[in-house]
Amino acid sequence: MLVVHAVVGFTAVFSTTHHAAYAVLSALGRQNQRALRRFGWIAPSSLITQLLLGFALYPTYRIRVRALDFDRNAPFFSQLFDFKEHLAALSLMLVLAAALAARIKESPSQETRWSIAALSSVGALFVWTTAVIGLVVTARHPV
Amino acid sequence: MSERLLRAGLFAVGAFAIGYLLPGTLQLPGFFYDPAHRVIAFGRAAPSPWMRYYGDFLYATCAAALAFALVFKLPRSKSSLSIATGTALSLVALDVLFYLSRLLTSV
Repeated sequence: MLVVHAVVGFTAVFSTTHHAAYAVLSALGRQNQRALRRFGWIAPSSLITQLLLGFALYPTYRIRVRALDFDRNAPFFSQLFDFKEHLAALSLMLVLAAALAARIKESPSQETRWSIAALSSVGALFVWTTAVIGLVVTARHPV
Repeated sequence: MSERLLRAGLFAVGAFAIGYLLPGTLQLPGFFYDPAHRVIAFGRAAPSPWMRYYGDFLYATCAAALAFALVFKLPRSKSSLSIATGTALSLVALDVLFYLSRLLTSV
């Protein structure tokens, strides 16, 4: 399940990055609504799948990794993992809000496009940070 | 429609950030899960390895869904979208700074 979590994680990273890139291009006047709408369902779907896989893995991590290793030998990694979980939760809301607003077919105003770009970019940044921290924690002690 | 959806989404993001931060920080009663015995309980605090992550996430999701529904139903607002975006992202930044401070104190 950890491998699936990693693969879906990469999908989430790249789809949210694509969504953010198209949202910024749209705000700059180079509209590609079709691509924005396409990544508007791929990005949130991959993030929700990733979150559900994380929910399923979390209890195992809590006992086998955190309780037996991190809390005793590496408390910083416990906190780092918690930080990753918080970023993942926040990124889901940011990407969901951006994707939902960007999927509308009508032509949005410039202010709306910049707001969508801001939400999507911050969401993608959080997803990247989450992925890197996930790799660091897993390198220290996989589930 | 897009602006209305976005405004509702921004309020949902803000509500999620608040609903996610407050229960754990203020030790409000919430749902805990014991992964060792697979038991769910409701309370203010619980010893390790009990987890309150699912409970906090549930609180935040309910707060976000409520905020989204309320703002979406309200008549169209004339306030600036930029201010709403800045406020939502500031609340998210507040969460991140709080969790980052907890991480850095463990170094």
